[in-house]
Amino acid sequence: MISPAALIRRAAPVLACIGLLAAWQAGSLALKNDSFPTAIEAIRAIPDILGDKESLINILASLRRMAIGFGVAVLVSIPLGLLMGRSRAVAAFFNPLLMVIYPVPKAALMPIIMLWLGVGDITKTLVIFLGVSLPVIYHSFEGAKAVEEKMLWSGAAMGLSPVQRLMRIVLPAALPEILTGCRTGLVLALITMITSEMIARQSGAGNILFNALDMGQYDTVFAMIIIVGAMGICLDAIFERVRARLVRWSEPQFDMPLSFS
Amino acid sequence: MSQKPASAIIEIDRVSQVFQTSSRRDHLALSDISLTIDEGAFVSILGPSGCGKSTLLYIVGGFVSPTSGVAKIKGQAITGPGPDRGPVFQEFALFPWKTVLGNVMYGPRQQGVRAAAAEAQSRALIEMVGLKGYENFYPKELSGGMKQRVALARTLAYHPEVLLMDEPFGALDAHTRTRLQNDLLNIWERDRKTVLFVTHSVDEAVFLSDKVVMMSKSPGRIRQLIDIDLPRPRRRNELLLDPRYQKHVVDIERMFDESDEGGSAS
Repeated sequence: MISPAALIRRAAPVLACIGLLAAWQAGSLALKNDSFPTAIEAIRAIPDILGDKESLINILASLRRMAIGFGVAVLVSIPLGLLMGRSRAVAAFFNPLLMVIYPVPKAALMPIIMLWLGVGDITKTLVIFLGVSLPVIYHSFEGAKAVEEKMLWSGAAMGLSPVQRLMRIVLPAALPEILTGCRTGLVLALITMITSEMIARQSGAGNILFNALDMGQYDTVFAMIIIVGAMGICLDAIFERVRARLVRWSEPQFDMPLSFS
Repeated sequence: MSQKPASAIIEIDRVSQVFQTSSRRDHLALSDISLTIDEGAFVSILGPSGCGKSTLLYIVGGFVSPTSGVAKIKGQAITGPGPDRGPVFQEFALFPWKTVLGNVMYGPRQQGVRAAAAEAQSRALIEMVGLKGYENFYPKELSGGMKQRVALARTLAYHPEVLLMDEPFGALDAHTRTRLQNDLLNIWERDRKTVLFVTHSVDEAVFLSDKVVMMSKSPGRIRQLIDIDLPRPRRRNELLLDPRYQKHVVDIERMFDESDEGGSAS
């Protein structure tokens, strides 16, 4: 048996979505503006996009760039962040560089990168890579810094070499923090994916969106926004599942009742 | 029973340690410490907080290198950590992503013991420290006392010749602390490993040790070496009533009180 409270908790996300769509529908009907289609119109346009082969190829191309950019960024950033966290010299070298790059919107670098590398996949993937790496480096750095010295000493006494300590103690101990960075990185990957396609209009989900905007097909524009949002929710949910499995050992044992619940 | 042919296993020779404080001033943590520890002895280093007693232990562990002087194990200068010296820390320092069994097996596996053999040994050790049935628990699911039992088993698992215990029971409540002291003595009386035990508790030092090294603060120096000639095996309930035990405790506390360091321990 599910208690009423649990039922409400489970239904809450669905209710929130319905509420949002209802507000949208009402707002759109009230404003009667061409560039603001109703929620129903936008939802109706979704099957047209997903049924169109060209659009699907575009969306898949976006996802592929995103996966490559995200994957390479994670593979490079985690070791770098861990090294920075455990070596003052490495941190002293990279920290100023990162602090300069961090606040710069990665999409702002795109016109320059386009000049160097053209408007193709490499440029867009590189921008995604840049967007993802900084939070992952930063969180890996913080996670590695926080690893208890005595845990490393215990490993050293067992005969672990410095490299083994980094891979077999610092990495797992910092994993919860690293994955927090990866989760932020995943959202940023989606954002930079769309913005990169907005600037270099050639293919991709962002391209469909902005082409439709140019042509005044506002239902398609909003349908694409829904699709991108749904991709974000799905990717995040998948990631959260993987994360929860990997760091089960660090999660609190009991569900603490939150205040105001 | 308490007397056995003694040979030095650890020699600390005129060790000094200078730390730089955050305000860039030099702080002399240890000044000119010389100490010899016999094989199979249980030696406590007792002193107020900030007297450098843990630092001395870390130097023997090879985790910290002394500013001057040398520490040796079996005649060899200590240049880094090694499996011949097993630390047990107040903070437990367990690997939180490993289960109890995984933690205890970690050392033997690292030393190249095959998985099946390492597991069998580790299960036996877990049982010895009283945690049978908790093999598959994660550290976060254990109480402080249980975590320290796991930490002890994890260190014993790779057979160090010297146990380096850094206020191991300092974070535990009084009842748990007493039980762990008893269990540690039982384990120690079985195989008589050399133990270097850092504590700020006078009772604990006298109860456990063959020899107590009293330290004073700023700079950390050895103040006095006291032989604790109480018979073994020691039973807590007998010992507490033993006038010799009481005299040792009172004498040591008085010595701490005489110096104005405010460091008389528990």
